[in-house]
Amino acid sequence: MTATSVEALPAVTEVRRPSRRLAAPLWVTALLLILTFLVIYPLLMLVFGAVSDSNPVIDGFGKFNPSLTHFIAVLGNENVRLAFFNALMACGGGTILAVVIGLAFSWIVVRTNTPFKGFIAGASMIPLFVPPLVAGVAWSILGSPKTGLLNTALKWMGIDFRFDFYSMSGLILVFGFYYAPYVYMFTASALRNMDPSLEEASEVSGASAFTTIFTVTFPLIAPAILAGSLLSFVVMLGIYGVPAALGAPANISVLTTYIFKLTAWSPPLYNTAAAVAILLMFVTAILVWAQQRVLSGRSFATVAGKAFRPRSLNLGPWRWFTFSLALVYLFVVVVLPTIALVIAAFRRFLFFKDFDAVFDMKAYSWVHFNSIFDNPLTMMSIWNTMKVGFITAVIGGLLAFAIGYTINRTHVAGRKSIDLLSTIPVAIPGLVVGVAYLWAWIGLPGGLYGTIWILALAFVARFIPDTVKALSTSFMQIHKELEEAAWVCGRGLLGTIWTIMLPLARPGIVASMTLLFVLAVRELGSSLFLYTSDTTVMAVLLLDYYEGGNIGKTAAFSLVQTVILVVLLGFTTWLSRGAAEGAGRAG
Amino acid sequence: MKRRTVLAGIAGTAAASLAPPALAQQDTFGSKELIAAAEKEGGLTYYTANFAETEQEVIKEFNKRFPKIKVSMVRAPGGQLITRIKTEAAAGKLGADVVDHSDRGLMKELEDLFQDYAPPNAADYRPDALVSPKLWPGVTLGWAIAYNTSLVKNAPKTWMDLTKPEYKNKMIGQVVAPSGGTTWTRTMFERQVLGEDYWKKQAALGIAMYPSGAPLSDALVRGEVSIAPLLYNIIYTKIVDGAPAEAIFAPEGVPIIPYADGIPKTSKSPNAAKLFMNWRLSKEGQAFQIAKLGNITSLKEPPAFPKGWDPTVVKVWVPNFEQFEKLRAPWVEEWNKTYGYRQ
Repeated sequence: MTATSVEALPAVTEVRRPSRRLAAPLWVTALLLILTFLVIYPLLMLVFGAVSDSNPVIDGFGKFNPSLTHFIAVLGNENVRLAFFNALMACGGGTILAVVIGLAFSWIVVRTNTPFKGFIAGASMIPLFVPPLVAGVAWSILGSPKTGLLNTALKWMGIDFRFDFYSMSGLILVFGFYYAPYVYMFTASALRNMDPSLEEASEVSGASAFTTIFTVTFPLIAPAILAGSLLSFVVMLGIYGVPAALGAPANISVLTTYIFKLTAWSPPLYNTAAAVAILLMFVTAILVWAQQRVLSGRSFATVAGKAFRPRSLNLGPWRWFTFSLALVYLFVVVVLPTIALVIAAFRRFLFFKDFDAVFDMKAYSWVHFNSIFDNPLTMMSIWNTMKVGFITAVIGGLLAFAIGYTINRTHVAGRKSIDLLSTIPVAIPGLVVGVAYLWAWIGLPGGLYGTIWILALAFVARFIPDTVKALSTSFMQIHKELEEAAWVCGRGLLGTIWTIMLPLARPGIVASMTLLFVLAVRELGSSLFLYTSDTTVMAVLLLDYYEGGNIGKTAAFSLVQTVILVVLLGFTTWLSRGAAEGAGRAG
Repeated sequence: MKRRTVLAGIAGTAAASLAPPALAQQDTFGSKELIAAAEKEGGLTYYTANFAETEQEVIKEFNKRFPKIKVSMVRAPGGQLITRIKTEAAAGKLGADVVDHSDRGLMKELEDLFQDYAPPNAADYRPDALVSPKLWPGVTLGWAIAYNTSLVKNAPKTWMDLTKPEYKNKMIGQVVAPSGGTTWTRTMFERQVLGEDYWKKQAALGIAMYPSGAPLSDALVRGEVSIAPLLYNIIYTKIVDGAPAEAIFAPEGVPIIPYADGIPKTSKSPNAAKLFMNWRLSKEGQAFQIAKLGNITSLKEPPAFPKGWDPTVVKVWVPNFEQFEKLRAPWVEEWNKTYGYRQ
């Protein structure tokens, strides 16, 4: 770095000021325009659908017939209220469990000397890559009260206890297991970036390790915990696959399964579905508002200009206890469902007369794999998915960085609106937003409809909130003094972003882009309306297999998808590790 | 294994006996000019609400006869497919050359989107299977009673057997009535043919309910339920593959669902579309679907029968279309109440 003389400063500021004065409003306008196109325009279509009887594309805006019938029907329907209540129970319980698991896990991985941490960290992210439908199917294979593998095994061992995952507690457990990685992702990077001197100060003052965790560590990473739990709650609210597989047999309906019914029935009731969706958005809006109130006016900057190494707590013999805790979690969340999927993928039929039948090797073969790779759509869908995922990750990552930076690091007018607009899509369930995108974008001139770009655009729009929130956590933690130092050294805004923010936030950026890629690969709701015969994606094909009642092919294809995603995860872990080392060298 | 060989044999014989001689082929599937024009177009886009895998078999078989015509498929569940067709059509971007849909009512509403079309063997089709002269039953499905052979000792033989107390406590699985046109056809049959109190008697046994047929067929094979009314094509391929299941056609009647398929006016490959429709509706196309896919047919004289179908005993039941539309909402609501299904 070059030393800057004090005399040089005024000249720099003078040169920068006029261009900045113009640049800021232009920048904000550009972002607002992009967000209007991606979010507001489709959202207006949705509201239009909810308060009228018409389809805006078919009937045109001219025939707008305002009617509150759908809202009244929705609010007056006791089944909607029940579905609403069930959704709050399942997602609330699931979030609490996810926070407990995710937080414990990130602490074990980042802050202790538990053995094989790298392996635990990698494996604990696997549930995130499992499409919800597959998770639901895997747990119904394991935990069905009548035929579940777990129960078949218990019977074989002569134990009277039986699991029943077709229940509210089953839903809560599976939600908690599978969405813990969301909390983990947020809290682990926060813990990693936290200056351990604060904890040391606490311990020097006589607090026990336990007290330190609860009075210093966790409160310091509160924004990450809150962001992670809010995101996992809202994502759970929008999940269809898990309640479809586990709730339906017990007649437990949640908002998403209700919305799916509305869109799948003949004739489909999209206008009513849009009204239910707006109800869902309302709940989410309250949550987001609450989160911002809790966080406002506090500083959570823990990454400052001082060099530090993340501290690792020596647990002594207890490290084997934390290790075994991690193993139990991995066994329940990764190994068991994977075994269930592998059995389903390789077994011709999933019927077990007794537990011994599980080991009858004659019943296993490659038949389902052969049949999915016989299908020309399989390779095409994999290739299309990779393309869409990549485009989504790059465009979405850049946009999220621009938005996140503007919201968190600048004081430009209009940033609050940008924040609000970029949070809205989180609340809209995929199935309904798919129709909104179709309505909004099909009429655009040019050949967008029918290409993979329209899918990528929909995914970018749909997952802006997830990406921006993931990135904002990294931004919040980087102390302003680092940027100020760069300005003092004569760097412009772009130069500061390039030399300070990008390298420091790189693990966060890579993590967000990975998240975006994974979400894009899994996304079904909006794909279903925008794909064409040449742009089939994996999620659509997976639903085809599931809807065709073929659990073997569904499981086989899920395994293929999981393997692809795990390879990708390995690659990005390697990438972000390289980034961390690079940053280390620079410091 | 043995069963599969037998079935393959039946299929082979059916297909062989129906394969038209080379010269007659042109008249069966269309004129020489049509075939040449279709081959020149080279391909078509096929929108279907049927199972993707099933329809891929149909495309494969079609390509054995017409290898120069590439069929690209877009598949979505019924309600979602209709929304897409309507929206695309309104925006002037309907991509379909052929639409294949199970809900005749919804397709009838879209009649204006479709061009005039009739297959060469139009006169061979049952008039009650048609809702419009433009829309044809390329696919016809029928309801059977399926059971898990490892779990059911005393198998049901009639629809009335499904009200017997011996099958109580969620041994029977059902697809819920509001799930779509196919299930509504079955529930309508139950009430009109089997009696006003049939639902009540059956609901009293305690029924496991499923959102659609495919997960129910899977649950039957896994043993989650032991008995289930299922569309024959959903369970048929599993039986052929050796699943522990069997299906019978009950003597009181087989409710059938004729699809409504048509060629949109905006089709960019109208000749290929016509040839594809002609082939699917031909005796050969229908016989293939019966033998290989477990479909039924709306042809007055079926070219083949599914296994266990005795034409002297089994009667086909087609719903009266007017009643199908009119009774739907009130009866489905009553069904929900009777079975305790929360809609």
